Amino acid sequence: MSREWILKSIYIVIIMFVIIVSGIQFYNHRHYDVPIPAGPGVTGVVKLSDYNKNLKGTIADTNVFFMEGKEAGGKVLIFANTHSNEPAAILTALIFIENAVVNKGTLIIIPQFNNSGGRNTKPGDGYPLYFEIPTEWGAKKFRMGNRNASPLDQWPDPDVYVHYPDRQLLSYLDVRNTNRTWPGRAKGPLMERVTYAAMELMKREKVDIAVDIHGAETMFPVTNCIVVPEKAMRIATMTSLMVKAMEGFENHVEPSPKGFRGLSHREIGDFSDTMPFLLEAPLPFLDQPTGPKTVDLLLKGKDPFLLSLSKQKKLFVPYDESGWPMEKRVGQHCSVILEILRQFSRRASDRAVAVGNVPRYAEVVKNGVGFYYHDPEKAKKENIYYN
Amino acid sequence: MKHYIKWLVTCVCLWGVVFVFPSAGLAQNQVPKAQLPVLTTSAGQSPDVNTVNVIMEEAGVKYDYCDVPTVAMLKAGVGLGGKTSGEGFHVEIHSDLVKYPKGTPYKSIIFAIGASLKGMGASGLTIEDELKRLKEVIDYCKANKIFIIAAHLGGVSKRGAPGGDNERMIDGVAPFSDYLVAVEDSNKDGRFTKIVAEKKIPYTEIKYALSLVGILEKVFE
Repeated sequence: MSREWILKSIYIVIIMFVIIVSGIQFYNHRHYDVPIPAGPGVTGVVKLSDYNKNLKGTIADTNVFFMEGKEAGGKVLIFANTHSNEPAAILTALIFIENAVVNKGTLIIIPQFNNSGGRNTKPGDGYPLYFEIPTEWGAKKFRMGNRNASPLDQWPDPDVYVHYPDRQLLSYLDVRNTNRTWPGRAKGPLMERVTYAAMELMKREKVDIAVDIHGAETMFPVTNCIVVPEKAMRIATMTSLMVKAMEGFENHVEPSPKGFRGLSHREIGDFSDTMPFLLEAPLPFLDQPTGPKTVDLLLKGKDPFLLSLSKQKKLFVPYDESGWPMEKRVGQHCSVILEILRQFSRRASDRAVAVGNVPRYAEVVKNGVGFYYHDPEKAKKENIYYN
Repeated sequence: MKHYIKWLVTCVCLWGVVFVFPSAGLAQNQVPKAQLPVLTTSAGQSPDVNTVNVIMEEAGVKYDYCDVPTVAMLKAGVGLGGKTSGEGFHVEIHSDLVKYPKGTPYKSIIFAIGASLKGMGASGLTIEDELKRLKEVIDYCKANKIFIIAAHLGGVSKRGAPGGDNERMIDGVAPFSDYLVAVEDSNKDGRFTKIVAEKKIPYTEIKYALSLVGILEKVFE
């Protein structure tokens, strides 16, 4: 065998090794399920495909937790991981699922809205495949997902995504982005089927309020805020004023632009009676000019490049050596959601929603996020759901 | 039980912030009185005018609102001449029409100061257009003794370098106001303190925008 063929063989072996090792890692990541112990408030769990049969049997189908109160009232839908690389969302949703006690009205929670995105990754950006939240009983392990659904599940992408029904031209990637495919179609591309099912859920269940939880770059102006259309503006503004005065954190209000289609805060409001609220907490991990995309950056939000940019006033949020840790982000989401519910209930007493046993900002910052998660080993098997 | 105690404490604190803290502030800063009917509007088209509107509701003060009122609309009085909302133009009529029938001249106007290129763009305005419109409206108010309240509630995010959009909005409204309110964060550099000292304008500085509830209750008492 010539020297050239020996070298080629070595290269092939190395490439095969890399492909096999990474392939196994990607496979394990895609098939890793997070156990969710249903808390005392959970009264039922259905599938999103119950609202659109065209989702049945696909990887995009996902769990929908119902938490019905003793007393009738309004209904609130909370959905997390629309973008699965913004994990404060699912961490917040799990705090509600595992702890909330609903006294009046109904909470409906979808912790992994884009289930395909939650099983996707972004190797080009060096995303970690998993991250762990420390708890009193050990570490709770989560998949780190991606913004868009996996091309394994929805393929091929178009050259340009033509939004339905407005026909606005969006990026080809947005056809896999469940915050561009609202209001969706029953038999459209897979992610349109997901958003269509959620629209159906809101219409059939007569949902009053929908909360879509996100995270955003510190260099992006629409961060640390509540994005709402006109009809939700009053409640959002009062929420923003209250959390600032009572809990000491900023969360300004951004109006939902009418001309930018496909987003939850636009289409849910335009195509249903539900009032949408999209929550953004600062997420340094998503910023471009950072160091490596490590789990540490994801959880602590500390980065020397962002700190330097902050000193040059290039960021849209206050940023210092303490970074922007996960506890702050999750705590903000918890408080803002609870305050939205309170403000809504003040204005619509017949549709009030009263939720207890969910921590607010200061408590989450003090105790940490993992404090509110329960050991699946100690929970009854029938009370554990996998996402 | 622990949860209920926390809830009770939260309620008491809430009551304090809404009703007691602002009143405590008032003892130190005498607020002037203004009369109804009142129009709320924006100087710079930032969403801060929504904050003012929500605060008016919390304070129980009935108001009319238009984001880009013209002198002609102001002249038309309560009801704003029957104008209705359209693309980039918002009108809300909440005035007590029994006490103040349509056409009743406005006695007060509240400007929420804060520039937003997005907001001005949505209303088809440039900064120059907005400043020109504000000057016309303010001139009309001065000529007709309409009480001008200026509020800067956006904090640092609604401030900027000298000559910037937000600073020009402040220059366009604050010195001509009859009463000025700003949150602490807006006045870190003493900008508003300097304006009110030079122009001898009554001024109240508040820690949180929410404290404006108690102030407006007093102003329109």
